[in-house]
Amino acid sequence: MSERSQSRLDTVLGVVLAFGMVAALYMAFIEAPREKTMGDLQRIFYFHVPIAIAGMTSFAVNFAASLMVLIRKNRWWDHLALAAAEIGVVFFVIVLVTGSIWAKPEWLVWWTWSPRLTASLILCLLYAAYLLIRNYIEDPERRALVCAVFGIIAFLDAPLVWFSIRWWRDIHPSPMLETGGLSPSMRPAFYVCLAVFQVFLVYMLRRRFFLESMRDELETFERQIG
Amino acid sequence: MAMKKIWAIFQKDLLIELRTKDTLNSMLFFGIVVLVVFNFALESLRDSVHSAVPGVLWVAFAFSGTLGLHRMFASEKENSCLQGLLMIPADRGGIYLGKMLAATVFMLIAEAIIFVLSLVFFNLTVWKEIPYLVLICLIGTLGFTAVGTLLSAIAVNTKLREVLLPLILFPVILPVLVNAVEATAILLNKSDYGALKLPLTVMSVFTIVFVTVSYLLFEYVLED
Amino acid sequence: MDKMHYLFAAFLAIWIILSIYLFSLHSREKKIRKEIERLKSSRQSAVGNRQ
Repeated sequence: MSERSQSRLDTVLGVVLAFGMVAALYMAFIEAPREKTMGDLQRIFYFHVPIAIAGMTSFAVNFAASLMVLIRKNRWWDHLALAAAEIGVVFFVIVLVTGSIWAKPEWLVWWTWSPRLTASLILCLLYAAYLLIRNYIEDPERRALVCAVFGIIAFLDAPLVWFSIRWWRDIHPSPMLETGGLSPSMRPAFYVCLAVFQVFLVYMLRRRFFLESMRDELETFERQIG
Repeated sequence: MAMKKIWAIFQKDLLIELRTKDTLNSMLFFGIVVLVVFNFALESLRDSVHSAVPGVLWVAFAFSGTLGLHRMFASEKENSCLQGLLMIPADRGGIYLGKMLAATVFMLIAEAIIFVLSLVFFNLTVWKEIPYLVLICLIGTLGFTAVGTLLSAIAVNTKLREVLLPLILFPVILPVLVNAVEATAILLNKSDYGALKLPLTVMSVFTIVFVTVSYLLFEYVLED
Repeated sequence: MDKMHYLFAAFLAIWIILSIYLFSLHSREKKIRKEIERLKSSRQSAVGNRQ
């Protein structure tokens, strides 16, 4: 893509997001019905869950990019993999923080080892480990390959983690059950927010990718000179 | 034949270890330390400390296993043997399998001893359960070393080395830990043995998936 | 209504975390751009000197 069409795409994305965010807020606060048991606090759900889904999408992008790194051995895919991992971690941190703030007034505790929160924590740690490995390997070629391997392992591990945690919670049930139900009247708001955050993910990935290719350009430059 | 090369690497690691017993000793010692520390940490549980035994056991196994996994590659790196290892005309996957099997054997030996000690420390009686326990330990350890060997090879070549391994290993082997602890708990509480099927299946799936993946991807991880 | 406070806190948290991250991206970008410019110009002057 040429530079001009890149920046045009960025502008389009920016505009879509500006409207999208307003739409999402409207849907979450005004259009969506008041939930029966939790009241207005439940509205955080319209951001909490779409951000979690966007985070998982990001990790899926990391998986695909990691595979491509090993197949094509092209640094472009490595930049994408890093961007996807980092954005995924940021999104999941948001999921954990909002989940915790949601839990406090509901169940009077800041943390519950509920399946969703626990799995989010482990997933976050998995990809934080990815970022950690990235930091401590210096050679760019090797770093791309090793991180791709770990990215693949992390993604394959995720469903096993989720399943194991769910089963563990089934055996040791906790009094604090998460409500996941989506009644039909909630659907429009939820889908709008879901779409907005997917677009937001694309925007963030592009920005982080751009930063990474610049950083790579700098590193190459420094190696040539140094 | 590929099997011979895998066996050769496996044998080499075992023989080196039998001569010095460095790794085994430190693994054992670490496992015992974990048992003792937990005894003090869980003092407030006292009478109901039995319920914590499966968890304590597998924490001890996991920590001592991590130590063993690290030594597996660290000693190679220290003595610059990695280059020599890479020159073997075996496919890299074979190196992985040989090391993984050796690590499994070390871990199983350490686990057996740590387990016997835990029987003493926690006053347990287990006779009928032993065959199932062996099965759980076997599959759990295989799962642990399946992914641990690969991650250890990654960690040893970074700036952080041994510090990195636990950080990247524990999130990944969480499924093994959760299922192994629960399976052990089911066993020790003498409850329904049928419930063992699920955790054992999950652990086996984990092992098969990660042995395959690690075997295929190991070559990308070794430093040239 | 205490629950509304928590709702607000949650949305504020999202806003803060995203802002911090976007700001960090922006400042990293600026730093790298500056560094690339610096290296480019020092290379220019080195070439210039040699001529």
